[in-house]
Amino acid sequence: MTSETVDQDCIEPVVVAERLSKTYRLGELLRLEATLRTVARRAVARPLLEALHDVSFEAYTGECFGIVGGNGSGKSTLLQILAGITPPTSGTMSVRGSVLPMLAVGAGFHHELTGRENSFLYGTILGLDRRVIESKLADIAAFAELERHFDTPLKRYSVGMQSRLCFAIAMLFPANVYCFDEVLAVVDGEFKERCLAEVRALAARGATVFFISHDLEQVGTLCDRVMWLQDGEPREVGDPESVIERYSRHVTGVPAT
Amino acid sequence: MRSPQPTSPPAARPVVATIRAPAKYRLRLAQLLSDKPVIWALAGRDLKSRYKQSALGPAWVVFQPFALLVAFTVGFHSVAHVQTQGVPYILFALTGLVVWTYFQAVTMAAVGSLVNNYPLVRWTACPRIALPLATLISNLPSFAIPAAAAVIAAGATGFLAIQALLLPLLFLWLVVLVAAVAIFMSAITVRARDVLSVTPFLLQVMLFLSPVGYGTSQLSPVLRAVISINPLTGLIEAWRWSLLGINPSTAAVVISLALTSAGVVVAWWLFRSLEISMADDI
Repeated sequence: MTSETVDQDCIEPVVVAERLSKTYRLGELLRLEATLRTVARRAVARPLLEALHDVSFEAYTGECFGIVGGNGSGKSTLLQILAGITPPTSGTMSVRGSVLPMLAVGAGFHHELTGRENSFLYGTILGLDRRVIESKLADIAAFAELERHFDTPLKRYSVGMQSRLCFAIAMLFPANVYCFDEVLAVVDGEFKERCLAEVRALAARGATVFFISHDLEQVGTLCDRVMWLQDGEPREVGDPESVIERYSRHVTGVPAT
Repeated sequence: MRSPQPTSPPAARPVVATIRAPAKYRLRLAQLLSDKPVIWALAGRDLKSRYKQSALGPAWVVFQPFALLVAFTVGFHSVAHVQTQGVPYILFALTGLVVWTYFQAVTMAAVGSLVNNYPLVRWTACPRIALPLATLISNLPSFAIPAAAAVIAAGATGFLAIQALLLPLLFLWLVVLVAAVAIFMSAITVRARDVLSVTPFLLQVMLFLSPVGYGTSQLSPVLRAVISINPLTGLIEAWRWSLLGINPSTAAVVISLALTSAGVVVAWWLFRSLEISMADDI
């Protein structure tokens, strides 16, 4: 990815996506049958899939930006591009500041390491300084309510406990843009409420939060704006209530009144 | 792609905009410097996790070269009567094993370093180059133990001479060669898992085609030329010269140096061009 410095301007949006598209090939990358076909000059081209098509939007500082849409509608791909994990096929996305992607629970964790060691590892992967991580360790354990388990290998944790640790790290490590992709699905109600409050606090402190969830109520209460993606195309971007209402009508098949 | 991270709340600092756009590659040499903490953290992770829930743990690092040493002594010394130009056979073979054990350990670990870390590659912005490079550090014990044994043994038997001062340079050469192999193999594995199947077999073949348990001096000129194409040959001979004073074949050393330099360039170029789409291809 090419990077260039742009002068800071407070009114400028933090994230600008311009005509983003991402194309994948369907099927397997390599397999014996395809290799033999290539050798025999009978290769069959794999069909293309446009995971994202012509997506443009802007997100601002202090904003919580929700993304809804069915499975395979391009939500995660969009956040992968935002986090610099994969490049777009065409279009650009400009991101001001650091991005903290939380796209899968426990990605980057190692099951043989303890909660403390994993917090260190994850913080370093996020690009944080050793001292910053050290100063946050106690807070992470406290936020996740895992103080007693912090020196136990992660393989002894339940999935919910791993999510707690994952979320605590995201909450306490500083970034300008946060991406949450369905990471609150397995945690219990009390912790979920605390996380949602913290996500709001992140935005209140000036961060930009991208939030993907199939829990429409959650998206509705949390987000300032919501984008509805369908087959890789933004169908609507706007205020949460009306976008979610039309989206859920679309999902349940109830015609608009 | 990795911008500097804030240490205070994110509002009041000059903010750098990063542009995500289609590109042929994005990896830059300068990035290796900023990725250093990640490389060390991943190496630490691998070292810590390697011997968890293992009865002998780190003792395995000693066992592997020791077992090969015994096998070589039986096979090459007692059965095949390999000539070592006046050097005790065990010391002769141990010097070869210094290079080989590290080469083998890193190659085995690096081949799967990207695909075994699928979640990291697919869901985080972890610099991918850090994964194969971390195996260079986490497998250093496989170098350090035979190397220490060889230096002590060479010193005790009076073979150590002034050229031993060049050992740090030879170590650097070894690391660069192994890094090229690690980067190259790990990148191809992301596209084609065939590398995972072929590597153990390839290493076995290479062990016999490298002068680890034997020397090249008694080989026929043709065979000697063939073995010299192996980049490990010149390197092992240089180690034997530095530690034991056995004269190397200049041709082998030159070929080996040339292959190492070319290998690094090719490996970097390949990794850089495959790196950008690794999250999609893995």
